[in-house]
Amino acid sequence: MTYGLLILWLLSGLAIVFENRTYRLIIYFSIFSLITSVAYFLLGSPDVAMAEAAIAAFSTIFFVICIEKYYSHRENVTQDRIRREPLLRRVGGVLPALLLCIGLFVLVVIHIPEAEAMYYLKYEYLQRFMHEIGGENAVTAIYLGYRVYDTLFEALILVIAVVAVSHMSYFEAIKVAEGTHSEIETSRVAALSLRIICPIILVFGIYLILNGHISAGGGFQGGLALATFFICRYMVYDIYDISVEKVLHWEEMIFLGIIIVTVIAVFLGVGNIIPAAILPFYQGAYLIVMNFLIGLKVACGFFFLFYRYITIERR
Amino acid sequence: MLTFFVIIPILLAVLIFTFSAKTKAIKIIAIVFQSALFAASLYLVGITREADVVTFVGSDDLLGIVLRANSLSAIFVLLTTFIFLAVSIYSYSYRDERDARTFWFLMFLLEASFIGLFLSGDLFNIFVLIEVSTLVTVILTMYDRKNRNIFHGKVFLLTNLVSIQFYLLGLGYIYRITGALDVERVGEVLATLDDRNLLLPYVLIMTSIAFKNTLIPFFSWTPKVRIYPKSPTVVAAVMSGLQAKTSLYLFIRFQEMFAPIAAYEIFLAIGIVTGIFGAVMAICQKDIKMILAYHTISQIGLITVGISLTNGLSHVGGLYHIVSHAMFKTTLFLSAGIISHSYGTSNVYEIRGVMKRMPVIGIATLAAVLGITGAPFFIGSVSKYFISYEVTPLIMAVTVALSFGTIISFIKFSSIFFGHSVLEGSTPKAELCKTIPIAIMGAICFVGGIFGTQLIYFLLRYNVEIQWWSYVQKSLIFLASAGVGYLLYNYVIKGNAALARFGEMNFSFRSICASMGVFMALLLLLMGR
Amino acid sequence: MGIFNVENIEIFSLILFFISFFGLITSKNVIKSIIFVMLIQTSVIMFWLKLGIEGNPTPIPPIIYDPVLLENIEYIADPLPQALTLTAIIIGFAVIAIVITMFNTLDRQYGTADWKKLEEAEGN
Repeated sequence: MTYGLLILWLLSGLAIVFENRTYRLIIYFSIFSLITSVAYFLLGSPDVAMAEAAIAAFSTIFFVICIEKYYSHRENVTQDRIRREPLLRRVGGVLPALLLCIGLFVLVVIHIPEAEAMYYLKYEYLQRFMHEIGGENAVTAIYLGYRVYDTLFEALILVIAVVAVSHMSYFEAIKVAEGTHSEIETSRVAALSLRIICPIILVFGIYLILNGHISAGGGFQGGLALATFFICRYMVYDIYDISVEKVLHWEEMIFLGIIIVTVIAVFLGVGNIIPAAILPFYQGAYLIVMNFLIGLKVACGFFFLFYRYITIERR
Repeated sequence: MLTFFVIIPILLAVLIFTFSAKTKAIKIIAIVFQSALFAASLYLVGITREADVVTFVGSDDLLGIVLRANSLSAIFVLLTTFIFLAVSIYSYSYRDERDARTFWFLMFLLEASFIGLFLSGDLFNIFVLIEVSTLVTVILTMYDRKNRNIFHGKVFLLTNLVSIQFYLLGLGYIYRITGALDVERVGEVLATLDDRNLLLPYVLIMTSIAFKNTLIPFFSWTPKVRIYPKSPTVVAAVMSGLQAKTSLYLFIRFQEMFAPIAAYEIFLAIGIVTGIFGAVMAICQKDIKMILAYHTISQIGLITVGISLTNGLSHVGGLYHIVSHAMFKTTLFLSAGIISHSYGTSNVYEIRGVMKRMPVIGIATLAAVLGITGAPFFIGSVSKYFISYEVTPLIMAVTVALSFGTIISFIKFSSIFFGHSVLEGSTPKAELCKTIPIAIMGAICFVGGIFGTQLIYFLLRYNVEIQWWSYVQKSLIFLASAGVGYLLYNYVIKGNAALARFGEMNFSFRSICASMGVFMALLLLLMGR
Repeated sequence: MGIFNVENIEIFSLILFFISFFGLITSKNVIKSIIFVMLIQTSVIMFWLKLGIEGNPTPIPPIIYDPVLLENIEYIADPLPQALTLTAIIIGFAVIAIVITMFNTLDRQYGTADWKKLEEAEGN
């Protein structure tokens, strides 16, 4: 089954190369991401599969918002197709690139190193994480425990992205009046079904966050689910009633909390925040706190990005 | 202990951003904090002389992330904190209505990511930090909303994103063949392996690092250079003075890690090509900031030549040139900011009479120019002396040619000092906070030349000596090439339309990507046996 | 099994890497280029996840709900590549969000998503 999936994966990648219509590009990309995420799951990494699926959904939304605007201020529909040139020139332009890529591929395959490591960190991690960090999910233990320093920067990058998106925008910080409606036509069927799904998504997000340390999922995936809840809510009611500035401020505060928890964790040793000997029940307490903070932060960040796109960027 | 150097700037940045204080308070906090950090990094330089400092984060062994400071990285940290201190004093008197909150938030993050890069001992952590610094760089260079170049910023961001994928792929192979991510551990394992296994990871990682380093001959420069001139002065100074150094540091680091197969000769050749093309492009520019930006690339070529030469003293010269380049390039960018602000233009042909109009800044800039061209008694002469110490005649000729290119581009630059100023009226009052850092760094350009050997001993722990006879020889070569350069500039280059057109050469996103592929293919073909 | 073996996911991801690299070199449209950047990233992540299941055709997710699982430790997927790729995915998305915004801004300024026209509009 994995072969078939991987071949489909490659084919959907190739389809993007040969596609010239922008809308279809986005559709192919979401198909590609779906296959990728299933393949990740089959490779034994449900956490990454979940993150990939959520990320793909969000980037598709952002692309579609962009493209929708991209079409709206063009009368000429023929521009839909990406510029085409005479066949001979096209082949002439593509041939060197094709040769380069095939040549590089062959060179790389020839030189693939054969040596294998004598010793992997895997065994150490798997045998020690339950005593040292707690929880049952080794990925979360590494992500929030052993490599918490990386995670700090990763959370930081989301803050930077939020700042950057509002800075790079064509529109200088425009305040959107609360209670504004977007002029998107919503279908009633979609609104109704979203209304039914909404609470399920919310519960699912909270479940992912709170159970991140013992099952697949975690702060990031749960945070994305929470953000999805708010997006669905927006789709149903179509009203701008949560101020973006406030959300940004909360995000900063939560990030401050993450830094403080990280610093404490780094200094006391991650496993020792609440000594296991005293309170064995709270073995995973650190992971729950971190997952919770990261989940809220990611939810705020993505909520901000979505509201920014839907209210300002698509004007 | 080392985590403090990274986490405290981040904490401060987020505190400033969350609890928005008054602009003036933020500036004072910045200066005080930068001074404290500078003192701390002096202390770090002191203790790393005896032994390396190692901090484990997350776990007491290799399961976590390791921060490591040796004498080299301590110097880079010192340089970073010094330049950020100078820059924060410089921007104290900014009167424009910038959002100081966001600006200092980003500046602190930039500093944290630079220091993090210098101290990091984990390969994946380096990837994360490269991404952080790239993102912050892009936002900062486009900070002024009215005066920004989104197109080149986007090309810069996308090409960097592509190049970092090569790094990540190479890192995957490293993880497979060594089973570790810690730099020292990986280095130990790599030394025991067959060369054939190291080739692909080396080529993949070096493609990425060389791209970051603007080394791939002339393709990757353009977007990077084009976003310098329009960025705020302070940012341009930090970018040229420090950001270029982070990638050089990574270059040195990875050449050491892959010591068994490191391709010194190939990078020597690439450094020479980069140096010469950078100098030629600098000559063809007419915007003073563009001259400086292209010149940075030429100097990166020279430094690469220095650190790729395997004899010990050239290596020391290369390292010292990193320090001196940070000094004079920061000075030049800061003063170029003042000058172009005062004259209302940055066209090198329209600015005249800087010496008369603003004498202190003029003298400091002149010191930096003399330093950069390698005039005797200035800082550049010492580093260039050691780079070309005991090398083959061919490389000797190349270094002379490189500094000849530098001299011509700075003869063009120096025309702004003299002549009669077009602007009449009262000279503007020099602002003290802007003058002080420029004057201090201009003085360092001179002091670093006079006490060159002592400074090299203090910073790099190398006992070197300058033989006065060969130093005089080098000085004579400098004077001769300055004379020839002056004549050449005045009678051939000045106002040459073909050259000006050459200077506007530009490359598209697609050709930059293609150049990455070509570079990687060539490296594989040349090194694979 | 030759090239179509689960063990050769590496080859698959390398093929996708160079397909998307080809796309980056040849695509004329900015949106297409952005999508190819995401594709190239996905291929590298697939490669990393493959590292975690080397010589292990039926990997078990690294969630140890029962210590008995640790007896067959070689069948459990390596958790480290998963944690690293999680970080890489998030970073990649943050950058892509910024790039999409920049695309939007440029589109507002010049009204085109064609690399050539954008370069001409930039005056060089």
